[in-house]
Amino acid sequence: MSERRRASLLRFATRRVLLLGPFASLLVVAAFTLIQLAPGDPILLLAGDGGTPAYYAELRAYYGLDRPLPVQLTRYAGALLRGDLGQSLTYQRPVAGVVLDRLPATLVLGFAALVVGVGAGLGLGLLAVQRPHGRMDGAIRLWTSIAYATPVFWLAQGLLLLFAVKLAWLPLGGMTSVRDTGTALGGVVDVLRHLLLPALALGLSLSAVTGRVARASLLDALQAPFVLAARARGASHTRVLLRHALPNAVIPVVTVVGHHAGSVLSGAALTEVVFAWPGLGKLLLDASLQRDVPLAMGVFLVGMVSVVVANVVVDITYHALDPRLELR
Amino acid sequence: MLRRASYVIGITLACLSCGRDELRRDTPAARGTTVVVALGGDPGQLNPAITTGGGVHPVTDQIFNGLVGLDEQLRPVPELAERWDVEDGGRRYRFHLRRGVTWHDGVPFTSADVVFSFEQVLLRYHSRTRAGLGPALQGISAPDDSTVVFEFRHPYAPLLLRLDVTEASIVPKHVYGDGQDLLAHPANQRPVGTGPFVFTSYARGDRVVLSRNPRYFRPGLPGVDHVVFRILASNATAALALESGDVDYSSSVPGPDVARFKANPTLRVVQSTGGSGGSVCQEVLIPNLARPPLNRLDVRRAIYHAVDLGFIAERVYFSQGQAATGPISSRHAWAYTAPGRHYAHDTARAAALLDAAGLRRQADGTRPISLSFVHAANQVRLADVLRDQLRAVGITLRLEPLDFNAAVDRVFVKKDFDLGFASFCNGADPDIGVRRVYSSSNIGPIPFSNGAGYRNPVVDSLFDAGSATLDLEARRQTYARIQEILAEDLPYFWLFDSAGYRAWRATFTGFRPWSGAFLEAVRPVEP
Repeated sequence: MSERRRASLLRFATRRVLLLGPFASLLVVAAFTLIQLAPGDPILLLAGDGGTPAYYAELRAYYGLDRPLPVQLTRYAGALLRGDLGQSLTYQRPVAGVVLDRLPATLVLGFAALVVGVGAGLGLGLLAVQRPHGRMDGAIRLWTSIAYATPVFWLAQGLLLLFAVKLAWLPLGGMTSVRDTGTALGGVVDVLRHLLLPALALGLSLSAVTGRVARASLLDALQAPFVLAARARGASHTRVLLRHALPNAVIPVVTVVGHHAGSVLSGAALTEVVFAWPGLGKLLLDASLQRDVPLAMGVFLVGMVSVVVANVVVDITYHALDPRLELR
Repeated sequence: MLRRASYVIGITLACLSCGRDELRRDTPAARGTTVVVALGGDPGQLNPAITTGGGVHPVTDQIFNGLVGLDEQLRPVPELAERWDVEDGGRRYRFHLRRGVTWHDGVPFTSADVVFSFEQVLLRYHSRTRAGLGPALQGISAPDDSTVVFEFRHPYAPLLLRLDVTEASIVPKHVYGDGQDLLAHPANQRPVGTGPFVFTSYARGDRVVLSRNPRYFRPGLPGVDHVVFRILASNATAALALESGDVDYSSSVPGPDVARFKANPTLRVVQSTGGSGGSVCQEVLIPNLARPPLNRLDVRRAIYHAVDLGFIAERVYFSQGQAATGPISSRHAWAYTAPGRHYAHDTARAAALLDAAGLRRQADGTRPISLSFVHAANQVRLADVLRDQLRAVGITLRLEPLDFNAAVDRVFVKKDFDLGFASFCNGADPDIGVRRVYSSSNIGPIPFSNGAGYRNPVVDSLFDAGSATLDLEARRQTYARIQEILAEDLPYFWLFDSAGYRAWRATFTGFRPWSGAFLEAVRPVEP
């Protein structure tokens, strides 16, 4: 990559990250207001039932929940500017700590789901274009429609019933076994065994989307003059497919993957609950149900930043992959 | 290409290992017996004396003790208090503490811990203890290291049933008495108790690990080396985990799974009153007595006749208990009486009552009654059945399913409903729990209070009398009278007395599901 292009990539990335500021402020206000507007009181879950109104009022004042919404929002935004995400009501610990504790699990699951989604999707795309509109292609198109339409919570329960209960090949939930697995390698294998089903459940619908996009763009690429030229030079079918068509066909796939970063996070909420995976998705669900506003906001902010970062990374990758595109 | 692939694999393995390291410290040693318990929610913090929250107590009740425990009939038995004397006609209780008990950090347990726990923690932060015990209590004193005296303003009968680990966990003064804010105290994350198990670790959202307390004051207990609470938010996953052997105990069995579990020789399924603290739960419909038409007794009676309690018990609650007959659950054995007025399922009688009330069927077959039914989304099955049963007598039920917190807010705080729903879980004495639902002093924007807005001064004074008499027969008669009056007034529709199923792997025995400390006596079954 030339110096000039590298500099323009850097400018592009900086501009995108700077745009995050105003965008994030808007989202913070919207999310804070929405969560606060939901009826319900976190104090009941914190203190339990059977108390007197005076006691609940005391606790509400202690947590600052008796203040009007604009005051609470101003305080929250002020603390946020100082880098303070606040204190979780449920965990009675700083939100940043609680979120960071759970972030690795979600990153591992999200990454594994991406590997499953993109890997399987590209594989399906490559298989489908071997003989366009043939039997295999038809079967793959049918399969991708089914996979895309399958709800993740249903699939998750189905996978659990089959592989963890009936066949008992894989563990049922969590990230590690309760019984010790001994060596460090045993530990990695243990996590991988726990990871397989949630990653499959979460990655399947992504594989359907990437599979369809990969098929369409591979078909386009295979019609392009440079493929004809490669074939004329005597390149083998595999070489044409993998070295000439695939790199060009991958660009739309990357775009789709980037745009699905958000849905991987929301899908993770469902998958994590079913598989008891101790990640951010489950934390967000618990925080919302318990009206733990600072915690829900914390997870939400992390989610928002990851989606934006994923999109910036996709844009950069997109431009790095295709030198013909201008960076703006 | 190969180099890139090796980078990716390397990073993945590194990521997996760091996630693994995070959790590795929470894995108990391979040595010893471990019992794995499914936990429905993440506890968040582990100080039992500042909350009655259902996610905290199943864990902390294994780490701490109360002054007394509860036996299977929910009668008080010695725990941190070895024995007690009731003096001055029930105005004074003198507790003689067990000697030689130490906290998990080795510091001796004394009467100062008990006085501190009540005065500084329980009476300030434990909602039920503060609301129930606070008004009656005059003071607590410690004449010596092993004696504690409770003085009351009037004779107070339910005290002994308010002192188990769930209602009043005793916490260490030397840990919590350091002047730090109790609601955010660091020890809330690393609790120190006197109980059968010692806190080891807590991986948020995943598991809490406890280990055997080698200095526990009951010889030979506990019977296992480690307890792992696995946080499994989905009931369905918890049930599968129990069947597959990943979990050894679950305190809730989904209704449709009961028959399958019973047929499984590797599982034991037992029906018992509520979870932690021997709580006795009753499922209840709440009419809004401040709004027509449910402010009319004849309409309420018609509705109760229209509801088929037997069908609901069987099809909605999968017979995990029995149809309710009145305000006190049949599980409160000594206080329960079948009320004289019985509302049998009788749609003809319901229709006649509605006709007499001037609410006749219109041309389209419905009557001019349309009720909003505000309920938590997990009660949709009940809502469907109720809608059908009320439709049969011409009443329209508009379903409003909400998430739990929002439903509680609508019914108890905003009071914006015609018909609401609650599962009232009460303590071992009718004074602990039942009273709050009917007492006119408890109508306010408080969750799980007198949501119907029922006022009857006779009932109020009978509840006062019930708690101020020590003579059990006299108390029984007082509660029988209360049940009679409430059955006449019908301020609520009592649906179901719960006694849910608990299930465990047959490889373990000794669970005590009626008690907060349900793992104290668990041990592996000898081969």
